[in-house]
Amino acid sequence: MFGEEELVKIHKDRATLISYIITAAFGLVLSRLWYLQVYKGETLHNYSIQNRLRKEVVWAPRGLIYSRDDQLLVDNIPRFDTILTPQFLIEREVTLKKLAGILGMEVSSIEATLKKNSNQATYRPIIIKKNISFEELAKIESQNAELPGVSVDTFISREYRDKEVGAHLLGYISEISQIQLPKLRERDRMDYRLGDFIGQFGIEEQLDRYLRGENGHEFVEVDARGRRKRYINTDNLFKGIEDEKPLSGMNVKLTIDRDMQNAAYEALEGRVGGVISIDVETGQVLAMVSRPSFDPSQFSRGLSPEYWRSLVNNKQHPLRDRNIQEHFSPGSTFKAITGIAAFETGSVDERFEVNCGGSFRLGNRVYHCWKKEGHGATSIVKAVRESCNVYFQKAAMRMDIDDIAKAAQDFGLGSRTGISLPREVGGNIPTKEWKRKRFGQEWQPGETLSCAIGQSYVLASTIQLATAYAAIANGGKIFRPYVVKDIYDTQGELVKTFTPELLHETKMKNPKTLALIREGLFQVMNNPKGTAFARRGPGIMMAGKTGTSQVRSASADKVYQKCDLMDYESRHHGLFVGFAPYDNPKIATAVIIEHGCSGSGAAAPVAEKVVTQYMKKYQPEMYLANLEKDKAIKDNWVQSLKATAPAKPKVQETPPDAAE
Amino acid sequence: MNQTILQFLKRYDFSFIGSMTAIFIVGVLNLYSATHSQSHEGIDTLYKSQIVWFLVATGVAILISFLNPKTIERFAYVAYIGTLFLVFLVLLMGKVGMGAQRWLILGPVRMQPSEFMKMGLVLALARFFTKVYPERELGFKELIFPGLITMIPAVLVIVQPDLGTGMLLLFIFAMMIFYKRLKWRTIMTLGIISVVSGVLMYNFGLKEYQRKRIHTFIDPYEDAKGSGYNAIQSEIAIGSGRLFGKGFKNSSQASLNYLPENHTDFVFAIFNEEHGFFGSVFLIILYLVFFMRLVWLASSVQRFFDSVLVVGIMSIFFWHAFINMSMVSGLLPIVGIPLPLMSYGGSSMLTFGVGVGIATSISNTRNFFN
Repeated sequence: MFGEEELVKIHKDRATLISYIITAAFGLVLSRLWYLQVYKGETLHNYSIQNRLRKEVVWAPRGLIYSRDDQLLVDNIPRFDTILTPQFLIEREVTLKKLAGILGMEVSSIEATLKKNSNQATYRPIIIKKNISFEELAKIESQNAELPGVSVDTFISREYRDKEVGAHLLGYISEISQIQLPKLRERDRMDYRLGDFIGQFGIEEQLDRYLRGENGHEFVEVDARGRRKRYINTDNLFKGIEDEKPLSGMNVKLTIDRDMQNAAYEALEGRVGGVISIDVETGQVLAMVSRPSFDPSQFSRGLSPEYWRSLVNNKQHPLRDRNIQEHFSPGSTFKAITGIAAFETGSVDERFEVNCGGSFRLGNRVYHCWKKEGHGATSIVKAVRESCNVYFQKAAMRMDIDDIAKAAQDFGLGSRTGISLPREVGGNIPTKEWKRKRFGQEWQPGETLSCAIGQSYVLASTIQLATAYAAIANGGKIFRPYVVKDIYDTQGELVKTFTPELLHETKMKNPKTLALIREGLFQVMNNPKGTAFARRGPGIMMAGKTGTSQVRSASADKVYQKCDLMDYESRHHGLFVGFAPYDNPKIATAVIIEHGCSGSGAAAPVAEKVVTQYMKKYQPEMYLANLEKDKAIKDNWVQSLKATAPAKPKVQETPPDAAE
Repeated sequence: MNQTILQFLKRYDFSFIGSMTAIFIVGVLNLYSATHSQSHEGIDTLYKSQIVWFLVATGVAILISFLNPKTIERFAYVAYIGTLFLVFLVLLMGKVGMGAQRWLILGPVRMQPSEFMKMGLVLALARFFTKVYPERELGFKELIFPGLITMIPAVLVIVQPDLGTGMLLLFIFAMMIFYKRLKWRTIMTLGIISVVSGVLMYNFGLKEYQRKRIHTFIDPYEDAKGSGYNAIQSEIAIGSGRLFGKGFKNSSQASLNYLPENHTDFVFAIFNEEHGFFGSVFLIILYLVFFMRLVWLASSVQRFFDSVLVVGIMSIFFWHAFINMSMVSGLLPIVGIPLPLMSYGGSSMLTFGVGVGIATSISNTRNFFN
């Protein structure tokens, strides 16, 4: 047994060995440093001065976007930027003057750009002018020798084939800004760099991780004047260094039809509003257009401040998607829901009749029908056809607001559909409890009357309305609307495919409910007395409902005031929702025209054009057959006109514009 | 009264805190130089926090220096289990947060428990070797238990994944058992076994993709090609310093951002570029003085625990310095091991403070008895 001190002593030899090891180790490091700094010092010093080898990012081509009929919607095209590397700027003034001449710029503006970027390393290229023309490109390339430090950078820019058509749906890509950078890094857990392009709106944003691909890198040798030479692997110092090819993004196929998009965009010409068409049995979105719009290509080319300001300062908000990012009172289009609620709760049946005298009094308030002289004896089909307020309000008086709310929620109104697009808004369907929470007040019976005709607290978006009417057409099935059909990799292999998603199915208690509502909706467009008879459009057999959404609540004396005499901001929104063809529903369509005054005048024609495009393209036989049927309807109508008013046939095609 | 203070100061060993301060001054100047240019926005004030960390670490060192080494011995296992628990906690929270996790966030303080684990391991091993067969030479049988003490934290750290620090724990263990008179025969056998099995495994036991996985496992944050590029840029930086360097704040490699992480792993390259071969000789001598002084202390104390502990502490810093300098100059592959007192990092600085504090405490006790 040793004492403590002896123990330390017998280990002393190992301590000595350890001190040798340490010395040897640092000796090794020092000899390596000697090799690098003295033996190879000159060579490496030259390298550091010229820094000839540089790692540069090779951008991955972004995935392409196709329509359902395989037409290219979004493409990539090369773009050229003039860049200047301050490190290699030898004769500053001469070069800048020459460059300014070629690019048609002021020397001072180039100086300003340089100054703005003066805080970054001088080897970093600065973009002087984006998106130069081929002529400018040729001049710069040919005078390369006289322009030290100036070069041209190729860049892939996003090209949206149909420009403003469907811009809200397709979205745009743009550079990550200083403010966004930390947030996006946190959100995606990706090592984004300033200036990286990323989808920031619509499909481009939603599917960014599929579309973007993976950037590669290459090693570039730069000469003393900043000109790039492709790196040639001759020097053993850089042996084993390889480029990495970028990985292209995946291609995406949408459920959208390009021709319908274009038809929808044209139909909205001169209007502020949106239209959306969805497949009744799947929830696939066939068309989705909003106007005013913007040119998404501008964003990937480096947005000019003027263009951005023009978008932001525009009072009509071109950046807002009217179909999913805006909600409003659905107006009379909501009456179909009130009707369903009344029948399903057993509050009324088809024998229930109301005598509409143009208005009626509840408490100390008078409720007007849009038709001053009244509709007379009115039952359900007529009430839908002619949009009788009194009928639906009297029916609502037999129910509770919560009954109406239940039907509305069953048909998907008032809440987000969950379509995979960013920033969808919900809406509102009022209930007693909602009012208590929101205002701390009890529900008033009079409020039920306003809600029954889709005014006051009822708020929904066109995508919700289209989904609801699709459910009316298909027997109560709510499908989640979707816009992306398939995702393919670059080899064309299917990576992901999207299938219909049934969100909710309402089993009808009364088998007649939907049949009666549908009949009413059909007559709206196909009976001479219907509110949109004039807009029925040949060959499409559409069933639908017009509506107006009051922007300002009208006082009693203004109820019948002509809408187009009001100032623009106060005019009603015009709405239309419908499905077609009536006897074999395929497509549901919803339209909003802001301040369009009337549903039949402003909104219905848009739906007619989009649906006609659909029928001609996808259901040509049905379309032809319907043309025959339509001819019969028209003949009957002309006959009846001759019979009733042989002297002077005066038919008011469009009802007055007040509250339809 | 005055005399007591004077006597105390006479016995108080300033050599460790002294050399710590000397290396730190070189380090913080270098850090300032590496990050001062405008292209390092966001990290250009790091040197200030480094100074704060140094002051904290010095405070910790002085506090610990007042402890009796016997107290440290008593708490050796507690420290080991405590740091092990922290490492485990990081792993657990990393699992919850998805992905690799080396940091433990306690309010405003982010710490790297694997850093403190090194000290915990050294303490536990020193205590073990003092209490169990202190005078016997080590063979395979005697290695089982200390091996376990080392492997548990090593594996936990490796799966974080932080292979660099995990390997470091094994290196520290190796140096400590070498000091604790590992039999030459065992050393030879261990060496042969590990070399042969390693080569065999790599060449025959692994499929190509597994080999690739090992490469990326070594440093998951850097693809193999990319780090090859970094290594070369680092060599250019060092070599371009030549004999006398480019001068303070004149590193082009750093200011042009050719070097990644130039405030942590690659500070030594920047130092070489700016101060050349002679600068490095000076810096390495500073480190050598510190390490040699520790080795000398290890064989001149009265208690065996103190002796083993000092060797352990010395080996922590020695391996850091050696591996970092080797990887930066291209002798070893690039793994994320910082250079003590030179690289930016609070946890590493604190560990250094603790180590210096313990060494001072041991040295003071020795002086007291002499």
